[in-house]
Amino acid sequence: MLFKKLLRTAGLYKAQFISMLIMITLGVGVFLGFNMEWRTIEVDTAQFFSDTNYADYRLYSKDGFTREELDAVAVIDGIDAATRYLSVNLDVEGETNKALAVDVSEDYNVSTFVLMQGQAYDPEGNGIWLSDKYAAVNGVSIGDTLSLSYQNLTISGEVVGLIKSGEHMICVADSNQLMPDYTAFGYAYLSPAKLKAAVGEGLPDEMQELALDKAFTQINLISQLEKKELEEAVSKALGKTIMLVSKDDHVVYKEAMGEAEEGKAMGSVLPVLFLAIAILTMVTTMHRVAAKEKTQIGTLKALGFKNRRILLHYSSYGLFIGLVGTALGTGLGFWLCKLVMSEDGMMGTYFDMPDWSAAVPAFCYPVLAGTVGLLTLISFLSVRQQLKGTAADALRPYTPKKMKKSLLERTKLFDRTRFGTKWNLRDLSRHKSRLAMTLVGIIGCMVLLVGGLGMRDTMAGFLDLLNNEISTYTTKVNLNEAADPAEAKALATELDGDWESLSGISLDGDTVTLDVIHNDRGLFHVIDEDNQRINLSDEGVYLCLRLADRAKIGDSISFSPYGSDQSYTATVVGYNRSIMTESITMSDALADRLGISYTPTAIYTNRDAAEIGKSDLITGRQDQAQLMESFNSFVQIMDAMVIILVIAAVILGIVVLYNLGVMSYVERYRELATLKVLGFRDKAIGRLLISQNIWLTVVGVLVGLPAGVGVLQWLLDALAGEYELKLMLGPLTYAVSVLLTFGTSLLVGWMVSRKNKKIDMVEALKVAE
Amino acid sequence: MSIVQFENVSRIYQSGDHALRALDKVSFTLDEGKFVVILGPSGAGKSTLLNLLGGLDSPSEGKITVGGRDISQLSDNELADYRAATVGFVFQFYNLIPTLTVYENVKLVSEISPNALDAREMIDKVGLLDHLNNFPSELSGGEQQRISIARALCKNPKILLCDEPTGALDSETGVMVLKLLLEMARNYGKTIVVVTHNQNIAKMADVVIRVKSGKIRSVEKQPNPLRAEEVEW
Repeated sequence: MLFKKLLRTAGLYKAQFISMLIMITLGVGVFLGFNMEWRTIEVDTAQFFSDTNYADYRLYSKDGFTREELDAVAVIDGIDAATRYLSVNLDVEGETNKALAVDVSEDYNVSTFVLMQGQAYDPEGNGIWLSDKYAAVNGVSIGDTLSLSYQNLTISGEVVGLIKSGEHMICVADSNQLMPDYTAFGYAYLSPAKLKAAVGEGLPDEMQELALDKAFTQINLISQLEKKELEEAVSKALGKTIMLVSKDDHVVYKEAMGEAEEGKAMGSVLPVLFLAIAILTMVTTMHRVAAKEKTQIGTLKALGFKNRRILLHYSSYGLFIGLVGTALGTGLGFWLCKLVMSEDGMMGTYFDMPDWSAAVPAFCYPVLAGTVGLLTLISFLSVRQQLKGTAADALRPYTPKKMKKSLLERTKLFDRTRFGTKWNLRDLSRHKSRLAMTLVGIIGCMVLLVGGLGMRDTMAGFLDLLNNEISTYTTKVNLNEAADPAEAKALATELDGDWESLSGISLDGDTVTLDVIHNDRGLFHVIDEDNQRINLSDEGVYLCLRLADRAKIGDSISFSPYGSDQSYTATVVGYNRSIMTESITMSDALADRLGISYTPTAIYTNRDAAEIGKSDLITGRQDQAQLMESFNSFVQIMDAMVIILVIAAVILGIVVLYNLGVMSYVERYRELATLKVLGFRDKAIGRLLISQNIWLTVVGVLVGLPAGVGVLQWLLDALAGEYELKLMLGPLTYAVSVLLTFGTSLLVGWMVSRKNKKIDMVEALKVAE
Repeated sequence: MSIVQFENVSRIYQSGDHALRALDKVSFTLDEGKFVVILGPSGAGKSTLLNLLGGLDSPSEGKITVGGRDISQLSDNELADYRAATVGFVFQFYNLIPTLTVYENVKLVSEISPNALDAREMIDKVGLLDHLNNFPSELSGGEQQRISIARALCKNPKILLCDEPTGALDSETGVMVLKLLLEMARNYGKTIVVVTHNQNIAKMADVVIRVKSGKIRSVEKQPNPLRAEEVEW
């Protein structure tokens, strides 16, 4: 019978019950969705990396590794597997601006692939195992022939299998490309036999081996050893310092973990905000419902129901909302997670993995159980308050607190204010929890809007900066690492271009990038913390913002290039904002003065890609528009996230404000009826109700705006390890956030104030207070 | 001179197939400046009558004229203006705004009534000038009802409508309130209509209208009404 009462009471307070359900569903859904996203990244990538023997470490040598060197490394205690490895970008013949990373894993025990379709891997095979995604996008099928060219070398073969590889889970041509673009870039695997045939074509046997040694510029390792330990062991085994890069610095692992970290950062702010607001809504609403049910509670008590039974009955309201809300929220959470983490989801354009699951972090289970428990406890406590005293006490209707004048009300100014203002001010000061909740709702709405739209502004601003301030060239020409520096510089002059040289160096034991720049022609730029172009000084180096805590301006830093025992010292003259890499930047003049040897790795020119002739030095050409395009698809993912946030913000605003608006309306019903009887028109009463909304919205917006900026800055700081973004907010974001918040508040105010037309003056005034 | 005219007024409440005639073709007139008591048991239709006269409700049939103006066909806004300018209400449960002080509760009506009187003076007249800054919750029931009378009169209405004004008060306070009500109405020349089921109050009236089952049973003029303190409770 009491269950029937529960359902009917839910019907009676449907606005309250529905809003509590929506809030709990949203709270749990967003909490679970965001946390599942990063956990799923961790679980799925770990599985994929394990399936494809993703390398823990990579040794790099420009001159390649011999079989003997591999053997010397492989026997080091603590190395589980090792192979000579090649990964090089080749142009696809007969196509403009299409390239493939071609990989060869000699022993095929590290950095392998999973076969999606076609023939299994064969170390003697003559075919090409092609990225299935590249094949799908470019209409390549098994049995088709591909021709790839590298300098003067051409490799042709039949596509025998379609694959996915952990090494290329995020398939980008280089660190300047943010998002994969399979129309322009993919990857393929060859067998060592085919590589040998290609590089050794027409050479005697021993020369073939030599050519192969030169080709394998990497040794990929699986090992649980610490980097320092391994570095020492390798250098002892090979008798020289070799550039060793751990997976933490490999673009795929680093970006994947960066995404997970980003998810964790997002997951620790927004969902907590949602869940907290949901629970707070529950506290205020349950308290009001219990207060409204006071007479019913008294009746049950008078009928002879024991306190325990009544408590149990009313606690079941919280339990009911908790269970239903959590169940719906779990569904929403999975849906949100899948929206991001699936082949067709947002992350599907970034990660290329065979299996997409949905993993829940372990701590979510106790949080969900705790939420249901807390909601039950909230209704328990709300009812216990009403149960205090005798049945007769409980039967007496809810009486509002005695009125007392506050300090503000004792002022002359207050005396002079209009009736409506006084009425609203007093109402607010007497219903502080309702006031606080309304403010939390508006501020929450504002924070989500500013945070979401601001994130997009920041990203768009960053891209704009990249497009207009940093990259002013037309084509980026990638150069062969083994190129002769003098020839590379001569080519730059010929192309009328600027150039840079990126190389790995060790700074206090960490691998960072040394960026040597020659940008006399102003085709690409370095920018400072305030996004202003830096005219590179020849007197010292610039640290990127992520390295800013390593040294103050004026301090000296020492670093050594990989593969050399030489150490260099330079003064820090400034900090710069780096796009992707952790780097130390210097002018070529300074590098020359310090005696650092370097080879230009890229030329930036205003010539069109097609105008640039073939050369042994050139490994690829990328036009700037194409690079920006890949950034744009990143922004599209961002847009989808922003839309979710904006929708969530508006729902949050509407639900919280409507719930509280209705509560406020019900509580003031009798007063509103009195005003109506006295002769106040419906519109005038509506204005009274809406004006309270407007005040609270003004306060909420004034607090929410800086709070939103603060949350955004906090998020950017949390993401600083991945991107050096400067917070940028456009006037449109301010305008849209403020207008949407006001719009939501006014819409809800209007929805509630419309009700006053239906006030039954006669009935309302008959009942005693 | 008559101020109120009811001509064949009916109020029918429709609920599903069932129609309830709360008032059935009622006709009467009230003269200006009189103290009228509408008497009847619960459910007789007396409150319906008061609600129609007060502009809280509109008749299903018939015509109601107040001060020469037909109020039976007015829109919601016109009714609100009518209530603001023409009638003052005193309720059984006072219906003061709990978040406004005594002064503010009375002063409130000056925002809508075109001919409002001075709020302070009205509070003085009901003897509660000392409580100007108190909230309703700090006053006794009798005091709250006196403020309610001050508020009703402050509008300077033509008619004062009182629905069981002593219903929630003890007899002593009830007499005091009735006395005040009469005094004030006489001093300010108002017509008072009191709805009650209390026969004793009827003894004070100039006119007693008896209502039963939605119809007027009698309209009785009393040339020598008792004074409030003469009424036995």
